[in-house]
Amino acid sequence: MKISKKIIANLKEGGVDFYLSVPCKLLANMIDILEKDKDVYYSSVPREEEGMGICAGAYLGNKFPCIMMQNTGIGNSVNAIVSLLQLYQMPVVFLVSYRGTPGEPVGAQGGMAKITEDILQTLRIPMLHCSSENDLEKISTFSKHAKVIESPVAILCDFNLMKED
Amino acid sequence: MNRFDLLNKLQNIFKDNLVICNIGLPSQELYKINDQPNFFYMLGSMGLSSSIGLGLSLSQNKHVISIDGDGSVLMNMNTLATIGNRAPSNYTLLIIDNGSYGSTGDQRTFTDEDTSLKAVAIGAGCKNVVECSGEETANELSKAIDDQDHSYVIISKINSGNVKIDPIPLNPITIRDRFRKFIGIVKYL
Repeated sequence: MKISKKIIANLKEGGVDFYLSVPCKLLANMIDILEKDKDVYYSSVPREEEGMGICAGAYLGNKFPCIMMQNTGIGNSVNAIVSLLQLYQMPVVFLVSYRGTPGEPVGAQGGMAKITEDILQTLRIPMLHCSSENDLEKISTFSKHAKVIESPVAILCDFNLMKED
Repeated sequence: MNRFDLLNKLQNIFKDNLVICNIGLPSQELYKINDQPNFFYMLGSMGLSSSIGLGLSLSQNKHVISIDGDGSVLMNMNTLATIGNRAPSNYTLLIIDNGSYGSTGDQRTFTDEDTSLKAVAIGAGCKNVVECSGEETANELSKAIDDQDHSYVIISKINSGNVKIDPIPLNPITIRDRFRKFIGIVKYL
């Protein structure tokens, strides 16, 4: 729970006040925290691409949105990222559980893990890769940076960082 | 009645509300009829008009009308479940259902065969689902906006057919900023 609390506290410190998720077991503690938090909006959504659209609308309405998802969700969302969030220069934080990184028990997750950072690089999305607890301190500044550069940004949280939380 | 005629008839209802308009011909027709700063034209991301409008209605108090099409709703049908469970009362989804992919040459969609978007929306959890003719749409849309307590999904059944039209010349940041200025967020324009 300690890691999840730190991540949410840093996102809130960075100004993020609107949260969606397509659940992942590594995000479960964060979802619990957000469901009890009366200061921010939270909902699950069925699919990541749709979540990108809801985040775009939330930004138009003056919220600073975050969508929490597995890295597989990046693959589901490429056109919405490019033709909506980037086209209109909308800051959105992607909080990504980085499935398929070392510690992952499900072999099939390895496929998307191998190409996740390549996809984000191709999309020119700034990345913050969190492998240890110390990395989490960077989340608030990194989130604020998304607003300054008016761009989606991605925070990748390694499997081994999240698994014992 | 086709989409152009319907959009023309709804102008008076649109003017005080925030309108998210579907990509392609719907946005191009709306732009040609009466371009306004409270219109957010989608230049990409087919399928997401309903979702963008939902996020906007959850984030501020003005009434939001998402103009969507049958082809686009079929592409992003899961969002009807999100709308059914999460849409606030300042949200109306207006599906202009002409049974065809208008922007790509009027190929038939499944709503021109056996799919009922009304039945799908109800099954997805949407509570106030109205299917009506193009002629009845203005009245149904006004009623939906006036109801302060509920969100609505209106499915307007019209004929296919398009007006020959040019792409929207506005750049995306202009669309974004003048829309946010209308809401009262952007002060620098």
